[in-house]
Amino acid sequence: MLRTSLAVNLPLALYVHFPWCVRKCPYCDFNSHVAAGGIPEDAYVEALLRDLDFELREAPETRPLVSIFLGGGTPSLFSDRAVGTLLEAVAKRLAFAPGIEITLEANPGTVDAGHFRGYRAAGVNRLSVGVQSFDDAQLKRLGRIHDRRAAQVAVDVARAAGFDNLNLDLMFALPQQTLGAACDDLRAAIACAPEHLSWYQLTIEPGTIFGARPPKLPDNEAAWAIQQAGQAVLAEAGFAQYEVSAYARAGQRCQHNLNYWTFGDYLAIGAGAHAKRSQPGEHALQVTRRARRRSPQAYLDLAGSKAALDSVRRVGADELPFEYTMNALRLNDGFQLVDFERGTGLAAAALDAPLAQARRLGLIIEAADNVRPSAFGLAHLNDLLELFLP
Amino acid sequence: MPQSPSAKEMAGPQSRIRNFSIIAHIDHGKSTLADRFIHLCGGLSDREMQAQVLDNNPIERERGITIKAQAVRLAYTAHDGQVYQLNIIDTPGHVDFSYEVSRSLAACEGALLVVDASQGVEAQSVANCYTAIEYDLEVLPVLNKIDLPNAEPERVAAEIEDIIGIEAKDALKISAKTGEGVPDVLERLVERLPSPKGDAAAPLQALIIDSWYDDYLGVVSLVRVVNGRIAKGMKVRVWSTQADHEVSLLRVHAPKPEPRPSLECGEVGIMVAGIKQVDGAPVGDTLTDAARPCADRLPGFKRVAPRVFAGLFPVSADDFEDLREALAKLRLNDAALQYEPENSTALGFGFRVGFLGMLHMEIVQERLEREYGLNLITTAPAVVYEVAMRNGETRRIDNPAELPDPGEYDELREPIILCRLLMPHTCVGAVMKLCVDARGVQKNMVYHGSQVQMEFELPMAEVVMNFFDRLKSVSRGYASFEYEFLRFQPAPLVRLDVLVNGERVDALATIVHRDVAFSRGRDLTERMQSVIPRQMFDVAIQAAIGAKIIARTTVKALRKNVLAKCYGGDVSRKRKLLEKQKAGKKRMKQVGAVEIPQEAFLAVLQTDPKS
Repeated sequence: MLRTSLAVNLPLALYVHFPWCVRKCPYCDFNSHVAAGGIPEDAYVEALLRDLDFELREAPETRPLVSIFLGGGTPSLFSDRAVGTLLEAVAKRLAFAPGIEITLEANPGTVDAGHFRGYRAAGVNRLSVGVQSFDDAQLKRLGRIHDRRAAQVAVDVARAAGFDNLNLDLMFALPQQTLGAACDDLRAAIACAPEHLSWYQLTIEPGTIFGARPPKLPDNEAAWAIQQAGQAVLAEAGFAQYEVSAYARAGQRCQHNLNYWTFGDYLAIGAGAHAKRSQPGEHALQVTRRARRRSPQAYLDLAGSKAALDSVRRVGADELPFEYTMNALRLNDGFQLVDFERGTGLAAAALDAPLAQARRLGLIIEAADNVRPSAFGLAHLNDLLELFLP
Repeated sequence: MPQSPSAKEMAGPQSRIRNFSIIAHIDHGKSTLADRFIHLCGGLSDREMQAQVLDNNPIERERGITIKAQAVRLAYTAHDGQVYQLNIIDTPGHVDFSYEVSRSLAACEGALLVVDASQGVEAQSVANCYTAIEYDLEVLPVLNKIDLPNAEPERVAAEIEDIIGIEAKDALKISAKTGEGVPDVLERLVERLPSPKGDAAAPLQALIIDSWYDDYLGVVSLVRVVNGRIAKGMKVRVWSTQADHEVSLLRVHAPKPEPRPSLECGEVGIMVAGIKQVDGAPVGDTLTDAARPCADRLPGFKRVAPRVFAGLFPVSADDFEDLREALAKLRLNDAALQYEPENSTALGFGFRVGFLGMLHMEIVQERLEREYGLNLITTAPAVVYEVAMRNGETRRIDNPAELPDPGEYDELREPIILCRLLMPHTCVGAVMKLCVDARGVQKNMVYHGSQVQMEFELPMAEVVMNFFDRLKSVSRGYASFEYEFLRFQPAPLVRLDVLVNGERVDALATIVHRDVAFSRGRDLTERMQSVIPRQMFDVAIQAAIGAKIIARTTVKALRKNVLAKCYGGDVSRKRKLLEKQKAGKKRMKQVGAVEIPQEAFLAVLQTDPKS
């Protein structure tokens, strides 16, 4: 069909949410629920597939998947058999692009060598390990179920299972953390020789335990000092920053996250999962964001029907410049104006006014067709993005 | 239209009308007493008896004060078996609103002075009583709150005689809260207050007590018929404009609104006459019959000049016209409100507005924001100064930014007020220190039993600077004061400027005494530092006298302001966060590249050292 040709121009990814954890971390605002009395593994995988079928019935897809991300919660609480069943069934419904990246998030506290080998065999080719810190005192404070040693074991087990693409999640500006301690954490992570590091500042979110009883965190200056020092450590070790919190060795950037940041489309299944899909529109692409119900039980009961949807939001043409830049300006390389036009269906002129303001404030750097945040703009991204709000 | 029986009974002759006001300090129980009256006269059923009928403006209710005149008509059956028409014309109880008091009193023959029997007389009641006596009103003292264990009615009665100088030996002792003694008050009103004197057969002469603007009806006026009568359909002439309007609606509040065919001689009620111009029926003006005009206008009542001025600026420049219209509508029933356009380099187009005092300013600001939905920046209030220019000319300036260069004038004179304070003897020391710190000069001190009356001459500028709040705090709420303007007096004054990132912000300039300029400058820059949020750039705040910088602080830039995580998931929350950030900036004013919040413009006002 000719009318879908525009949307097909954007890559398509798939996100799968696994909403259970062994324990809820005090800082985490993701949709996670304590798995008391076991996880209904088979029933959940069946629900996911019913949900996917429903999604594809509503709007069929011919685009191949460029990436799959199994996130949570704690997906590594699921057996390799369940993950295998899921991926196999997905492959029957959607084409996989050559070189597809399939990531699974693992908690170092739930490592099982057998499972890891099984995930790899099932087609998972990237593992993201939620280490958060290598400091046992910090790990305890953060409510993590693992210690420093477990994190290192997790990496070893992953390597032994054949994973050659590893990410470690690490946080900084932790309660009472000194600059030295933060850099030690980073060095410990680098010593594990991952391909990718997500190094992000701890932020207090509403609706979390930390939100209700905020711990004392390093102030703005201290956090900035840690970030400056840490970036030097990372650069020296060969990790280049490509997004606010993402650092990678050459050629090892996370394809799935890049798809978010470049405003690609993504299907999303699982409790509380958020999808974004585009269709041709009259003046701009018709972008729709759909969210699934957050409650695992409600999801299990309703997946496969419209009732499993929590919200459907059509993004207005006036909101697209903000939605696009809120993602694309997170990248050090920014974006090409033609990519903006391709991603939103709008003319690049829609950005003229906010770009002029951003230029005046020194928040962006422009070269030919490219717009990227300046170092100042990247540090004050909130001020920069605000300019694009409708 | 069939009349209700109560309305029929009430349409009695002039001799059975009693028009009165209630003079009381805030919290001395005026509204509770008025509610009791309404209840006793059967004006409302229990179910309809909404607490405190008179204070029906939301701001009044919240603050527990009365600002605008209201009138309620009640039918009271006295012991003599006759039905009397009682009109309660409400009065404001705050020092800023003496003007409003005088216009309510001008429509009455008597007043109830309600005094809290546990607290005693308070300065504003004294001043209002004097106004009532000036208008030849019969003042009936009432001692309220006798149910309180610490009530001392005898002492307070003696205090009334001593301080105000009216007979109070047989003052009624009541509790508006329990209802005790309240029926006696109604009976005494009927016995002691004179009925209205006017000539019912004479041409119409009516006083406009209050006017306000209604979007559907146009101008609505509260009027007192002094001579003659007003009937529906009649053509009335507004004296000052000489314009004629046909009366389309007459109404009384009993206290439920009841339409009436006429308002008779001596009566008080609401009139609508299709007046669409906001200034079509000015408060204090006279109404007459267009077909048979009266010979002269009524004396009206005392005009007062605004003493405090501040700039009011819309946060969004688009709201300028809306602000102009809102001010025009407010001015309709607030003749003391004055304004003219002002152009500030920092704040753009707005108005320089004159107020009676600080509370008046707060009320106006709040009404503009609430009733008219305007988002405003108010600059620090300033008094009017007199400048003796080198060329012999005398100028009045109400805006510190407009003070000429020191080289251009010989002398700068500030307004001095006579302040009368009343307080228990226990806090004399603290109040005296407060007044002396405010550059006051003591003029008089008299003991009345345990109460002390002091008179101080004070620079008005010092009183504008939260004197009222400090007086309350040093006396634990027991001291009260009222004041009047005395004269302009030379003083060593300088203009204190504030510069933000090197740019002089005209709206932040103040005129201060030279002796305190340095400490004021330091306090001010520190205060500004604490209210200006950290932004992308360093913000330098300087205080200066002329070209000389006397204090400096810096609001350090935020080093980073960025959301650490943003993946595909729930973008709506990230978005809300940024929208909140943007909305926060919208409430601020951009001066150069710096966002300055409203609080910064008022920081100028606070003089207490930071705790």
